[in-house]
Amino acid sequence: MDYQKTSETSHKNIISDEESIIDSPAKRWLSWVNDLKIESWSTIITSIFALYVRWAVGLNPYSGYNTPPMYGDYEAQRHWMELTLHIPINRWYYYDLDWWGLDYPPLTAYVSWICGKIGSILDPTWFALDSSRGYESDESKLFMRSTVLICDYLIYVPAVLVFVNWWFAGNSWKKRELAVLLILLQPALILIDHGHFQYNSVMLGLTLWAVNCFFYDHDVLGSIFFCLALSFKQMALYFAPAIFSYLLGKCIKNDIRGVMKLGITVIVTFGIVFYPFLGSLEQISQVIIRIFPLQRGLYEDKVANIWCAINVIIKLREIFDINLLAKISLITTLFAILPSCIYLGSNPDKRYLIYGLANSSLAFFLFSFQVHEKSILLPALPICLLILDDVFWCSWFINVAIFSMFPLLKKDKLILSYFIVWLMWNWIGSFIKKDTKPIILKYLSWLSYFVMALIHILEFNIPPPKRYPDIYVVLNVIFSAVMFTIFLFYFNYQQIISFIIKRKAE
Amino acid sequence: MYRDLIIFSAFIKLLLYPAYRSTDFEVHRNWLAITHSLPLSEWYYESRSEWTLDYPPFFAWFEWFLSQFASLWDKNMLNVDNINYASDETIYFQRTTVIITELVLLYALKKFMMHSENKNISYILVASIFLNPGLLMVHFQYNGFLYGIFLLSLTYAKEGKDLLCGIVFAVLLNFKHIFLYLAPAYFVYLLRHYCFKDPGSQDFGNFLHSKFIILGLSVISIFSLSFGPFLYMGQLGQVFSRLFPFKRGLCHAYWAPNFWALYSFMDRILIIVFRQLGWGLNDTATSSVTRGLVGDVSFAVLPQISAKTTFIITVVFQMASLAKLWRYPNFKNFIGSTILCGYSSFLFGWHVHEKAVLLIMIPFGLIATESLEHFRTFIILSISGLFSLFPLLFKATETIIKISIFVLWIVLTCLGLSRTFSTKSESRTTPKPVKSTFVYLLENVYIIGFVILQFFTGVVHQIAFSDGKYQFLPLLATSVYCAIGIVYSWVRFTVIYFFEG
Repeated sequence: MDYQKTSETSHKNIISDEESIIDSPAKRWLSWVNDLKIESWSTIITSIFALYVRWAVGLNPYSGYNTPPMYGDYEAQRHWMELTLHIPINRWYYYDLDWWGLDYPPLTAYVSWICGKIGSILDPTWFALDSSRGYESDESKLFMRSTVLICDYLIYVPAVLVFVNWWFAGNSWKKRELAVLLILLQPALILIDHGHFQYNSVMLGLTLWAVNCFFYDHDVLGSIFFCLALSFKQMALYFAPAIFSYLLGKCIKNDIRGVMKLGITVIVTFGIVFYPFLGSLEQISQVIIRIFPLQRGLYEDKVANIWCAINVIIKLREIFDINLLAKISLITTLFAILPSCIYLGSNPDKRYLIYGLANSSLAFFLFSFQVHEKSILLPALPICLLILDDVFWCSWFINVAIFSMFPLLKKDKLILSYFIVWLMWNWIGSFIKKDTKPIILKYLSWLSYFVMALIHILEFNIPPPKRYPDIYVVLNVIFSAVMFTIFLFYFNYQQIISFIIKRKAE
Repeated sequence: MYRDLIIFSAFIKLLLYPAYRSTDFEVHRNWLAITHSLPLSEWYYESRSEWTLDYPPFFAWFEWFLSQFASLWDKNMLNVDNINYASDETIYFQRTTVIITELVLLYALKKFMMHSENKNISYILVASIFLNPGLLMVHFQYNGFLYGIFLLSLTYAKEGKDLLCGIVFAVLLNFKHIFLYLAPAYFVYLLRHYCFKDPGSQDFGNFLHSKFIILGLSVISIFSLSFGPFLYMGQLGQVFSRLFPFKRGLCHAYWAPNFWALYSFMDRILIIVFRQLGWGLNDTATSSVTRGLVGDVSFAVLPQISAKTTFIITVVFQMASLAKLWRYPNFKNFIGSTILCGYSSFLFGWHVHEKAVLLIMIPFGLIATESLEHFRTFIILSISGLFSLFPLLFKATETIIKISIFVLWIVLTCLGLSRTFSTKSESRTTPKPVKSTFVYLLENVYIIGFVILQFFTGVVHQIAFSDGKYQFLPLLATSVYCAIGIVYSWVRFTVIYFFEG
């Protein structure tokens, strides 16, 4: 019943009472906190618990652990610290590109430089030029893991707290705390950042800071944050259409001159971040080529998007030229983001912004060029923020998103953590319930969970046939891609329908 | 609610599967192998691994029982020659058995709290004991399971089932003989409470011979069930030499935070003082403690301590608490003297391991909410006891794990339990005497000192002595500082025990 209330309608119904929270361990915990009158402690306790979970996941191996010659993402990040520390800044995007050449925007490089600087004080051999390639030791792992953790707690965690404070301003204390708990324990981000090893929480945190600024009408500051997010990881572009249409719509509605102001902000911010690389045209183009590697193909590895799923039947990459593929993917992506962006632009409401971010990033994930399986973290951010507004669909999406990353996590030997963190999150929130309505949705979601379980059970018990060594990965890709397409339709529908309902009410 | 607790604790522990394993992991794996693949007659003779079987027979049978399942999982872990074998399967198997067998502790706790009037407080107590970080940090061992049996026997005593209490305790002794330290309290209590018609009377005419014989026979039959086979094979001497290796020294390499830690520390200080004053010293002794070798510690200034001395001191202090129990053999005094017996053996015992502090902490948890004084004593004991366990997880990687778990536990226990006193509103409304205000202040300062201590051992020392000098300093500081807290909590509790009511 609770699901129905929250899933069918817009944010108007969020104005909730405590009964609307589903009975779950999280709710029982919060009631307990309430009984003891220690509410002021609950955010601290949640943060410490989240810290524990993150670090415990970090005890596991990282991507490319002990696998010479190339290692993995961990080595890439470590190498960038080494590189920025020893190479002059104008050679950063040129230096030995075959060994994890820098292919992220400059802000990542600057952060790497800071980390490298601190790390070298502790032990210079960790980041010695060239000789430290593939360097692995318990101490350096500890150092690298703690940089991720510190970035996470400096940027992402406070952003989540501020967001929750605004979003649930009219709601009960319990609802706010529940949201903090569920968002901070969102498994996909924990597994990738603290298990696999990346700094996604920085990019996502900066984006969320931008959103927070928009909430409080500090649009200039918000744009700066979003530019920083883009300059940290180009993947933040998946959010750009939504943010662009929101800001444009808002300017048109209020004061068109605002566009100028924001435009200048963007140019100045990027100008400052990219300043060291603006020396020559050749340098600029090198940076752009590195950041947007068109030649790397339609997709890498196996990823649960449309192109990779279609590829199972039609070998797209053999039929079409790469430039044509790029154009096709660009056009389809544009079409996919269009409805959401138009609605957001014509009705620049703060709450729809989150839906817009979800739809835009999900469309990019499904249709754009050169997508990574980890990019599902981008739509996962706004969708996880909506978790209490639409418990059923959002938790369903997050669950499929985690499942879609299983092949990657399996490679990193994170299988155990994958199951624990995933199950724990679902247990804490008790998302899967018997009384979901309508019935058809209930059976559909159960069917999807059944398929996920089945693929796992088969994979663990039956080795893949010799002809199809990747059969389980392919099954995963097809299933997840279909599900993500359904989610794209649903969240678009949700954004637009709630818009119409709101208009009617007015 | 209890289901939530079980699942939550399982998740916390599952997350720790890849964490550090102490040598105890290999010890227990070796025992699995010994009990599975060797005949009973060789269990206590096997010595291919240095980690020979040195627990009593019931525990060996327990390992044998587990090995039946292990053989379905990964047969290689059951090979005695596979020394230091630690496949993922082995790790998963052993860690899982700990999680499952720990449910005994939860069962005992639940049973113990069944009839308490305040469900909320008893739930907090259950959770706080069940999730004690000490049980988490001392991995790898089956402490949860063993303490579960221990609390089960206390529960039977609480329910008035004295015979059952005695039997369960006898079983426990045959699982792990460290509980022998608590045996005096059990002996006095059962004798006075079970074997007298009118418990507590001084008249020996009330002594019930029949009950005494029943109790004695049940205990003897349990021991003969355990040791009988070895007696029959003529191996009893060998078994006992394994169980009681008296060749070890007074202190571990790392000093357990007990009285001897303070004693050794005092000796170190006196050495410095003597050197300054130019007095003669026993030179062979001056370097022995700080070198940190497992061996006999000899003192330069203070008198030497022999195993016999520690034994006598332990017994003397135990006697004191037993005297009250003898006069008033009620359940409250029974728990109190059990705790005090634990204290004396931990503080004054020979070759005490720091994890033995659980022997005090676990039963103390049961009575932590008796009064505000109990509660404060418990908190001081817990903080210093748990902090002293930190060096067990010595790798820097686990620092965040142990600190976050420790802080969460302390915060939740403190907040959860302290509310019970503020709602009672006795301590808040009546002004406290000046003396206790001062004591509280000192205690709070001591507790805050731990933050500084952690900062020193974790950060300052690493930076100040990055050349590896004074490596013993963090351990020494931890041990001495924690010892102060534990000795203080002992004094505090002794006062409560003797003068309360």
